[in-house]
Amino acid sequence: MDFYFGLLQIFGVHTLLGLSAYVVLLTGQVSMAQAGFYAIGAYTAGAGTAMFGIHILPAIIVAGLVTAVIACIVGFPALRVKGLMLVVATLAFGEMVRLFFFNLTWQVDRGGELVGPNGAEGFRSIRYFPEHGWEVWHVTAFIWAVVIVVMVALWWVDRTRAGAVLRAVGHDETAAQSIGLNLTAVKVGAMTAGGFIAGLGGGIYAHTVTHIEHGVFGVLLATFAIAYPILGGLGSVFGTVIAVLFIQGFLIEGLRFLGDWRSLLFGALIVLAMNLRPTGLLGEHAPRWFRRRKTGSEPLELKEAN
Amino acid sequence: MLLDLVQNTVDGLAVGAAYGLLALGFTLIFGVMRRLNIAFGPSIMIGIFAGAWLHAEWSVGMVPVFLAVLAGAVITAAYVERISFAAIRGDAALASMASSFAIWMQLEEAVARVFPGRTYGFPTFDGMPMIEIGPVLLRPEYLVMLVTAAALVAALQWGLAHTRFGLELRTLADRPEAARVSGVNVARVAFLTFLLAAAIGGIAGFLIAAADGQITPKIGLWATIKGLIAMVIGGLGSLRGALIGGLVLGVVEANAQWFLGAAGREMTTYALLFLALVLLPAGLAGRTEAGARAEAERRL
Repeated sequence: MDFYFGLLQIFGVHTLLGLSAYVVLLTGQVSMAQAGFYAIGAYTAGAGTAMFGIHILPAIIVAGLVTAVIACIVGFPALRVKGLMLVVATLAFGEMVRLFFFNLTWQVDRGGELVGPNGAEGFRSIRYFPEHGWEVWHVTAFIWAVVIVVMVALWWVDRTRAGAVLRAVGHDETAAQSIGLNLTAVKVGAMTAGGFIAGLGGGIYAHTVTHIEHGVFGVLLATFAIAYPILGGLGSVFGTVIAVLFIQGFLIEGLRFLGDWRSLLFGALIVLAMNLRPTGLLGEHAPRWFRRRKTGSEPLELKEAN
Repeated sequence: MLLDLVQNTVDGLAVGAAYGLLALGFTLIFGVMRRLNIAFGPSIMIGIFAGAWLHAEWSVGMVPVFLAVLAGAVITAAYVERISFAAIRGDAALASMASSFAIWMQLEEAVARVFPGRTYGFPTFDGMPMIEIGPVLLRPEYLVMLVTAAALVAALQWGLAHTRFGLELRTLADRPEAARVSGVNVARVAFLTFLLAAAIGGIAGFLIAAADGQITPKIGLWATIKGLIAMVIGGLGSLRGALIGGLVLGVVEANAQWFLGAAGREMTTYALLFLALVLLPAGLAGRTEAGARAEAERRL
């Protein structure tokens, strides 16, 4: 049973990671910085509970806020470029964050044991859950409560003016600008919100695995983060959840019986899905009840950068 | 100190020339397709492993190994193009990106399955003497890299300017609609460009592997990232820019490695990259979209 709860936990943190990329992608920006934001959240929340002994909930909220501030600061210069240049600029930022944690050693004495980030060794003993007697289903319920709050918030935002503004910028920047929208403010706002969500996700991730190290937060994770909303489609937040279930649940766990051959089929099935539905599983022509009212969703594309 | 700087710069230029070739492959694909091919590096990796396998099994010389690398890279690229680019309609660039990401995972897994273990040997250019220019030493492999890169860029420039295929490629890159209405077979030119890019990437991969003498499956991701970085430093859509970007990246890396160590090298490279992108979004040799349009109007 614990195995299935463990799976649900993985789905939960990956959904948060995917949703953080989803928000940024709504404005048409492909950001590879999400793994970096996730790392900042993970180390911040881990430091909060393991080094300073605060409660998990304030710890992940602080992690989200810290990450949001950093995302906002990075967003201002980074979002001046778009398309492929943005992909590479955010990739560079993500790697800088990873290298920062690779070199970071900062340990404090807690009850006769040194805890804290220790360079390449990583950050061990983030044991808030076992120390406070949380059972596996408590943890799972906690994670999904956070995921549902974030999803409801995003679903609600999509129905307000803010959602229309995000999609307007993603659909046609020139048109959006000509009706008086401030592109920089909208994009940086989306990046900040995405940073907050990634920070929450990273904070929770650190506590579910208890040991984090820089290698996890590399280009591969950043690519997964952006692949979820692309595969799921930008029609609604449910697309990202379905993509996480499809990739993590079906392709990675469900096909485990295939052994080493799994990854070959993994690639083939993602390729097939993108061929059949180029705008994502819940992109165009999604079932009506999943779609945004009236407008549906428009395919977003990587803008010409030249 | 000064001598170190000169020596590092010479080494950096040579490695940078190989980066420049990777960037050249990227530039060709991006210029014609306007889509990002994440599986570019991994297809080169397949070629390199094919060459290493041939060398290990039959202990053949450098030329058959080189041909195997080239063939492996080009055949894999054909597979990537058919599945992730030709099969997905043109306006869904993100779908191609996600799809080529999946192919990357597939190729990496395939190599990990066929070649278990971490590192494999690759034949090197043995028996060539070290070249001394005053107090500065130049490794013979590096000389080969520099000369090959210069020759390839010159050949490519000439081919683009003087052959029918080059004309079609440039038309497709500059004005896709105009290419279509004037009867260019867009699918064919795109496919051939993809193969050409893979061949250039394969040459770069062969030179890098031969200089290092060993390979790991990580070289796929490595080649994608170095090529991408060199391309955007130089400016998108410019062949000369791609080469310059590669050289700049190589020189910066070599000096940072020497003066700051391995961790410092990566950090400096990424920090400079971030700054360069933000401060010079058009790249070192690139042009802005507005500039390109103005130039096109002047020509009319």
